[in-house]
Amino acid sequence: MYRTSRRGLIKSTAALTLGAAALNRSVSHSSAQEKTTIRYGWWGGAERQANYTRALEAFEAQNPDIDVEPEPAEYAAFQERMTTQIPAGNVAELFWIASPQVLTYAANDLYRPLDTVPTLDLSDYDAALLDSFRLSGNLNTMPFAIFAPVFRFNETFATEAGLTVPDASSPDWTWDALAQLLIDYSANNPSGRRGTAYNAHADLPFEAWLRQRGEQLWTEEGTAGFTVDSVAAWFDWWENLRRAGAALSLSEQDGPSADWQLIGDTVLANMGNSNHIVDDSRSFPDYTFRQRAMPLMPGAPEGHKYLYTPRIAMYQGIEENKVEAAARLMNYNVNNTEFVRTTGMSLGAPVNPRVRQEMLAFASPAETEMLTFVEAETAATRNPRFEAPPGSNTWRDVMALAIEEIANEQSTVMEAAQRMIDDINAEIERAR
Amino acid sequence: MATTVEKTPQPETRQRYRPERQDGVAHVFMTPWLLGFVLITALPLFASLYLAFTDYDILSPPEFIGFENFTRMVDDDRFWSAISVTLRYVVFSVPLQLGFALLLAVLLDRGLSGLAFYRGGYYLPSLLGTSVAVAVLWRQLFGHDGLVNLALGQFGIEMDSWLQNPDTALSTLIILNVWTFGSPMVIFLAGLRQIPYDLYEAARVDGAGLLRQFFNITIPLLTPIIFFNLILQTIGAFQTFNQAYIISGGTGGPVDSTLFYTLYIYRQAFLSYDMGYASALAWVLMLAIALVTAIHFLLSRYWVFYGDD
Repeated sequence: MYRTSRRGLIKSTAALTLGAAALNRSVSHSSAQEKTTIRYGWWGGAERQANYTRALEAFEAQNPDIDVEPEPAEYAAFQERMTTQIPAGNVAELFWIASPQVLTYAANDLYRPLDTVPTLDLSDYDAALLDSFRLSGNLNTMPFAIFAPVFRFNETFATEAGLTVPDASSPDWTWDALAQLLIDYSANNPSGRRGTAYNAHADLPFEAWLRQRGEQLWTEEGTAGFTVDSVAAWFDWWENLRRAGAALSLSEQDGPSADWQLIGDTVLANMGNSNHIVDDSRSFPDYTFRQRAMPLMPGAPEGHKYLYTPRIAMYQGIEENKVEAAARLMNYNVNNTEFVRTTGMSLGAPVNPRVRQEMLAFASPAETEMLTFVEAETAATRNPRFEAPPGSNTWRDVMALAIEEIANEQSTVMEAAQRMIDDINAEIERAR
Repeated sequence: MATTVEKTPQPETRQRYRPERQDGVAHVFMTPWLLGFVLITALPLFASLYLAFTDYDILSPPEFIGFENFTRMVDDDRFWSAISVTLRYVVFSVPLQLGFALLLAVLLDRGLSGLAFYRGGYYLPSLLGTSVAVAVLWRQLFGHDGLVNLALGQFGIEMDSWLQNPDTALSTLIILNVWTFGSPMVIFLAGLRQIPYDLYEAARVDGAGLLRQFFNITIPLLTPIIFFNLILQTIGAFQTFNQAYIISGGTGGPVDSTLFYTLYIYRQAFLSYDMGYASALAWVLMLAIALVTAIHFLLSRYWVFYGDD
């Protein structure tokens, strides 16, 4: 009987492995000659992943010379992956940018200037809109959705309680009047519901509060643009609601960021982003949700309104022969109505005005509410808004810590506000 | 008279030892492990030692800054918070877990019918202890409207969410750790089986009761196993990350009450992009664990009884 020696076995295994590797390489090479592979990184849950995968498959069917490699991840995991991919020079050709990283990545030259990509179709955008996309004058990222801060309420609950929420254009639509409305609702509604979740941690409404006070979240110079007084006033507004029983406690809502599934049918209202209505309303299909622009502060300066736009970028290190394919995929993301129909609008209204209009024909009631709201907001006068500077990545965690200290009565509002600003500035300073 | 010296019969060797050939084969088989060790363990270890002395934000090249990262820890309030949380966790959770594991092991060692079922059942939490499912379970148990508060409510006691209260959040993680007692329990069970039965018989003949047998026979003969479990669980407790990350959503809240040391390292590395400082923190943790382990070994000579002592 023929017996294989160990050395022979090792040699055969090595030969087989090398042969298989060579064969695999040759097969990959031949398919690579036909197709350009574009890696596409984004964040989100399972539903978004399924929707985007379907949309990208449709793109591949329309563009048989392009192979899209999806790189989805949950939000925190996406950032961790980017953190390791960047030093390795292994970033996806197209990738979304988390809001605290926009300027961090810009400072580290991660974006390919889009002015140098002739096949990127920007014909639907007027010059003013394109200017609003620029970072320090450079068009190096492309917004793909729009949302704005909103006050959202459950119209079904309001009707049950015989309550009328003032229209945003009404002179009664102020922060003080809203607080009173929420307190009255909590005291009088027969179902024992509260006025609102404790949303001091909601970043967009917080920014709206600051801008109405003539301040900003971030300055053009890359520093925190707010004062201790404004932060303390914001915390006070929420604490007054909590103490009056009109806002949930952190215990009831499971932390500073309320869990909507947990609290959705226990509150009349919630402050947040205009896009949240799309997913949140689906969690409670028996109710009708409406949203209003943020209440107004007396003396709020002209141009206090603002929009937030999540962004997508093309990696600076992209191979030149892939640029055209990547631009086609970017076009598909930002300019194609079918793409938005497939992926849904959970991330906000389309940034392309034509697509936004076309989507009205396919929108659900909640999506229509969002689209109508965003359309009205885009028409408003807006002062410039600046992106989060490098080092600000943890600012919302710092804010959560301040809120926890206040709500657990481990710190006064002023102390927590001061510490919050000091900690945020220290992180920004360290990153310089 | 001539004498003949008989040669001592040598055992017949089946195959001549050929060191060079066998060493070569051994090296080939060791190569995957060696490569893994060098590339995945040793290199990152030494890289992190170098990075501990640098200002490194991941996105730009590291800059050597000497001992600055280590001196910075002195004035870092959250560093001290993390140390406080971790030490409290180690001091409370390890003895509780080992005590519970030993108690269950002794009970299971008493010839219980269906032992395999109980052993498997009790070991299960050790496998699930750091999963997202357990985090969800913990919220159901210790949340505002969780089972624990519902039970307390029956006695007129009203409590907020245990997970959102800075005074109780760490306790829930200690309970979670105690709950995963299966791993040390299985090791205790193996140790208990090694204790000669005739010692118990002799003790019984001399009139020793169960408690006396436990403290005078079981515990002394089990001390090497207790010591082994103590070392393993202490090191594991210092490195606790998943539970705190999952339960607190990665923040270490409420009010830093679950900001474990490893969670703080993670936050510095991946959220603040301060990889140099995170590396320094990691080396401090390694030295702390080495020191605590060394102290355990030094003290072990006073309480660990080996059969050949």
